[in-house]
This record gives sequence, structure tokens and C-alpha cells, in this order.
Amino acid sequence: MNPVRPRATRPISVRKALAAALLALTALPAAAAEAELLRKLEALERETAELRRQLESLHQSEPAAAVAQPSAQRSSHDHDAHARGDGRPQIAGAGLEPLKLGTLPSANAFNPAISVIFDGFWHHDGVKGESGEIIEEAAGFHGHHDDDGHEHGSLKQGFNLAHTEIVMSASVDNYFDALLNLAVDEDGIEVEEAYGVTRNLPAGLQVKFGKFYSGVGYINAQHPHEWDFVDRPLPHHLMFGDHGLNDSGVQLTWVPPLPTYTLVGLELLQGDNEALANYVGETDSEPVAGALRERSGPRLVTGFIKVGPDLGPDHALQAGLFGGRASVHQELHDHGHGANYLEGSTWFAGTDWVWQYDRGGAHGHGRLRLQGEYLYRVKDLETAASLDEPAFAVGNQRRSTQDGLYVQGVYGIAPRWTTGLRYEAAGLTSRLDRPDGTIDYDDSRRISANVAWNPTEFSRLRLQWGRAGIAGDEGREWFNQFYLQYQLALGAHGAHKF
Amino acid sequence: MSSPVLFRIVAATLLLLFASPVWARLDIVATTSSMGMLARVVGGEAVRVSVLAPRDRDAHHLQARPSMLAALRRADLVVAVGAELEVGWLPAALQGAGNPRVNPGRPGYFEAAAQMPLLGAGAAADRSQGDVHPHGNPHIQLDPERMMTAAVALAKRMAMLAPHDAPRFAANAERFAQAVGARVPAWRAAAKPAPGVVFHHQDGDYLAAFLGVPVLGYIEPLPGIPPTARHLQALVQSLAGHKGVILRADFAPPQGADLVARATGWPSRALPLEPPLDADTDRWIAFIDRWVQAIATDP
Repeated sequence: MNPVRPRATRPISVRKALAAALLALTALPAAAAEAELLRKLEALERETAELRRQLESLHQSEPAAAVAQPSAQRSSHDHDAHARGDGRPQIAGAGLEPLKLGTLPSANAFNPAISVIFDGFWHHDGVKGESGEIIEEAAGFHGHHDDDGHEHGSLKQGFNLAHTEIVMSASVDNYFDALLNLAVDEDGIEVEEAYGVTRNLPAGLQVKFGKFYSGVGYINAQHPHEWDFVDRPLPHHLMFGDHGLNDSGVQLTWVPPLPTYTLVGLELLQGDNEALANYVGETDSEPVAGALRERSGPRLVTGFIKVGPDLGPDHALQAGLFGGRASVHQELHDHGHGANYLEGSTWFAGTDWVWQYDRGGAHGHGRLRLQGEYLYRVKDLETAASLDEPAFAVGNQRRSTQDGLYVQGVYGIAPRWTTGLRYEAAGLTSRLDRPDGTIDYDDSRRISANVAWNPTEFSRLRLQWGRAGIAGDEGREWFNQFYLQYQLALGAHGAHKF
Repeated sequence: MSSPVLFRIVAATLLLLFASPVWARLDIVATTSSMGMLARVVGGEAVRVSVLAPRDRDAHHLQARPSMLAALRRADLVVAVGAELEVGWLPAALQGAGNPRVNPGRPGYFEAAAQMPLLGAGAAADRSQGDVHPHGNPHIQLDPERMMTAAVALAKRMAMLAPHDAPRFAANAERFAQAVGARVPAWRAAAKPAPGVVFHHQDGDYLAAFLGVPVLGYIEPLPGIPPTARHLQALVQSLAGHKGVILRADFAPPQGADLVARATGWPSRALPLEPPLDADTDRWIAFIDRWVQAIATDP
């Protein structure tokens, strides 16, 4: 029952036995001392027994041992009073030593909690499955474009397997928790998140380090299975990239001891984000060799603040401000018939709002959740090298400003059933300032509606329709997007934050 | 103003601030109003208690609101039910609160269900069997005995955090146990003729076991899974020839219970599953009175 005891006593008895053996060896030649030897052995045995007794009593006074010991009082209390449910109550569990500090976790505390999120959908759009590519090419959001064969936003007509998430998390020790989130798809495995986070820092401080989703805004830090819609909102997709702002680095957060929930965060990130802090680095092929700066990280700094006032049990509100700056952003515009290398810096800022009303209906019935974010991004770039015909002048300045917003509402129409409506706009004030003039871009828009059935917290089926008008070179292209999505969660998955 | 004078003023202010009785109190955050009642009754004047879950909510399905994080950030002690009742929101709230004093495993984190044996413990951890709790049924708040055990355990825990108040906590817990214990014969006597009960969820099991009233079935086919027509039909058939009452928590949807009530002619009642948010011993006893009366309703 107590594995510690035999292990703890063994060294002592071994030592005593050795001592006895040594004594016996030294005593052997003197046969006359045999009586003396026996006496000594007896004394040693008594001493050993006394030591063992002391050790046992020590163990019994320890909490773990006390709990493991089925004392007569304890068992009468448990089995007679509780299980049978009759007889006089044992007043206040007299004699029970409730010293259990721990919880009753269903996961083995030594093994990580492991969960797998299955995600897939049937998709159909009115543009022969090109909707993902059209969105990537939305006017005013041109960015790094390298023909490296890496496909973005590709949506097949018909059945699609989205990322399967494999999540493992556990407490490393007294000081750190760690989480690993692997995104598996048909092309391979990607590390979405792999970070450690401190457990014990004082004063409401926490440090997260590794690769993680940035805490800027609201939806960025959420995994796809936490979203209320199938797809990432357009402004995030176009300005943070199709994986969101997800980078390696360090995050410091602080929750000050205020009556109103406040979270302040600062992040130093490597700066490896295609949309915001793209890094090409070394360019060794002539004639562009050395055209781009090589700069070690961190190249991206972000900050955020979130405030959540207490509005009683029915309401929850969280509002946030965020921003960031990338000291290096490099773009390669490879159009197949030449290429331009651009280099400069970017910054972004935005605000995020979430309000939830929950009257306490069964399984989310009557719960209303409104959520919106606005994002603004500026890229200050200049031409570092040009292979175009005719070539752009090196040093040519170009400043592009882009913005976008989304607003969505989700309502629990019945227990376990929700319906949602979302409006997205990207490029409301998008423009590109170049020495030869300014280009104003059309905005792209999308409206989406969905119905979701959540049989339990672990499964979901969702039907979504979206109508997108994506700005292109020749006006807006309108098309429909249909999704029928499933999401299943198995294993021990951590609770979700607000 | 010379800096030593300034220092003295600041030091005196800080001293006054921290020496005032408001600061000396233990700041306790309870997850449910039952746990809040225990903390209030056992802690008395030495504690300040706030409760996270509104009375009329299913504590399985809360969400971690930002205001919960603010409360947990300041807490000296979290009093939770445990046995994974709050698993959907409390760990996330604790993680976001950044207050290591109340992390699970620390003296500042108390789970009532971890202090006692539970009904249904050791069930297979298999989600195809519904919303199961492998460590046992967490709905201990209707069990007078287990609440007494929890009160004594909580007094010991509070004593670890505020040793000079230990005798007061122990006396308060004892007083609670005496008051509840004095009521037990009346509860058992009232429930003696009760032929049986059907619950919506397994949340009345402890009270039924305590009173010795048989549980004849559940409206839910599996814990946490909404009733199906087939299940209700089978339930009604199995109840034929029996007598009893149908009870459910007031937040549980009424349709299933109503259907069974119509088919069997049994009375059906909805009751709050938690005492009032600011409950003391008397109001908690009154809350149990209501449940006992409901179980003892003449069918």
C-alpha cells in the first residue's frame, strides 16, 4: 500500500547486516568472544526493529500514508454511514483526516492529457473550387508571392479533410506546464503550438515560450475547433495569413489585482509570418545576392490589453486593444516573368470586442454571443532588387495600408443548436502609395450564415453558407461557398477560455 | 519633503492598509452556492466569500467569464465541488487568473468531493456512456452527511491558511454539523413512507441514498444526454405498478419529465439544485427541507 516504506527501510537493514557481518569476521578468531558477539547481534536487532518502528510511525504521520491507511474509524464512516445511507449520521466525519490537497483528475497525472480533434467538411463553391485562390488574391492585399508550390487556402469541391489536431498537455513540474498541438493533414505534420508556460510566477505574471498563437485580438489565439464559423474571418486571413499570427517567441502576460479583469501582454516573436513579418533572408542567386538584409530575431514585437468588467452572471464582456511592429518584412513578388524583392517594416493595430448574454438555458439555449474585430495594417517597403523588365528602380518607396473588420453573432435557438450570422469586410481604406501615384482598392466582402448542432460538448455538425464578393482587377467577383462540417473531439481536452 | 519623511509616510500607509481587518480576511472563491455556504458557515467573520456559478445554472456547463478570472486572481482559497463537475470551465479560469496560490495541488485549492467516497466511483471512463465522471457522482450538495464531512475538511484547510483562526473554524464546522445532524431524524422520518423517485439527472442520488428512498429511474437515458422517445417509453413501462415522484433541477428542460408524469400520473416537480447564493446554515437546511418534502410528496 505504501511503496515508500520497504524502499526506505532496506538501506538500513543492509547496513546493519553488513555491520553484523564485519563484526562477525573480526570476532571469529576469538572464540571466547562468542557470547559477546551474540549479545551484540541481539542489540543490533533490537536497534533495527526500533528504527523500523520509528520509520513506520513517521510514514503514518505523513498525509499520503494517513489516507492510504484504512483506519477502523475511517472505514466505519465510509461504509456504514455513506454506503448504506441509514443509521445515525457520523457527525462531521470525526476521525477522518481530510488532508488531500489534490484533485480527482481522470487523466493520469504523469501522462499528458491527450486529445484529438477531427475536422472535415464537404465544400462547394460557384467558382469550380477556386474560392480559396480568389480570396488569397483579394485586391489590395498582395504580398509575398513565391512560386514555391506551397498551396494556400486550397479548397476542393467535395470532401475535404481539414487539419486533424493532436493536443498533448501536462504539468512539466512545479514550475512549468507545457502543451503541444500538432496539425496533421494529408501533406504532413505541422507544429501549430509547442510551448511551455510558467505556473508559479508571483504577482499575476505568466511567461509563455516556444511556438504559439499570438494573444493579439480575440480569434487569433483560438484553434479552428473553437470558432463559431468554418473559416477564418477575411481580415485575419488576409492580414495575419491563413494560419493566423502563429510564431516562435516569448510572451509575458500580467493580470493586475484589480476588481475588473485586466490582461496586459507583450510578445517578442521571431518574425516568421508571411503576411506581416516575412523573412526571406539570404539571397544567394545573382543578381540579387545580398540585396536583402539578414537580421536575427526577434523581428516582431506585439502587445495587447484586454479588459472584462463584471456585468453579473448573465453578461460577459471583453474588450481589447492590440498592436505590433515588425522591424523586417521582405517580399518576393515572383510573377513567373520576373521578380521584385521588397524590403521594409510593417505595423498593425486593432481592437476586439466580445459580449455574451446567457440566461442559463439548457445547453446554450438562448445564449447570444456578439463578437467583432477591426484590424489595420501598414507596410512600408522599398524595392531592394528587381528582375522585372523594365526593372523597378531600387529604393523605390511603396507604402500600403490595409484594414478590415468582421462582426458576428451566434444565438442558441434550442438546446444544443446554434445559428450564426457573420459580416466581413476587408480593404475598406486599402491603398498603395507609390512615387508614380496612389492606387485605391475596392473592398472585399462576405456574408455567412450557419446552423450548428452540438450533440455534446465533444461533437459538432455545421452547415454554412457564405456569399463572397472579392475585389479583383476587374471589379468584384461574387460567388457562393457551402460547407457541411463535422468536428469531433476525443480524449482529455482542456477547457476553453472565454 | 525629505525622503526619510516620505518613506515613513508611505510605510505607515502600507502598514495601516495591510493591518486593517479587511486585509486580514481570507478571500474565498466558491464555485457553487453550496460551496459558498460551506465557506461562509465555516469561515464566519474571518472570510469573504464570492460565488462563481449562479444558482440557477448547471455547473457542468458554465463558461469561464472574464469576471471569474478577476475573482480568482485575488483569491486565497478556491472551494470547488470537484470530481470534474467544473472541468469545463474552472481549469481554464484558473489558468488565466495567474494566481499560483490557488492552483490544484496547493493548499489554496480545495475540492469537497476529494475529501470523501463518492457514489458511482470507478465507472468506466467511456464517453459513449454519456457525461460520466470516473471518480464518482459529483452532486454531493444534497447529501447532509457528505456536506458535514466537507465542512470539517474545509475547516482544516482554512486552518492551514489562517492558523490563528483554526479553533474558530473547527467550532463553526462543528456547529454546522450539530445543526444538520439535529435535523436528520425529521428528514428520515418524513421520507420513510416515500415509495420511490425518478430524477431527471443523477443529481439527487445522494439524497435518495441518504433517505433510503429507491431511485426508480432517470429521465436522461445516459448522464447529460437528452431524453429520447424510446428511452422514455421504456422508463414508463418499467414504472408501471410502482408509485413515486418525478424530480428535476429547475434548469433542466421539462419536456421529458412532463411526458413521463402524464403517462404515469405521478407528480412532477422542479426544484433549485443549489441553495440561495448567500445561504447560511438555516437557509441550506430549508433548501434540503424542500427536497425532502418533494420526495415525500404523496403520489
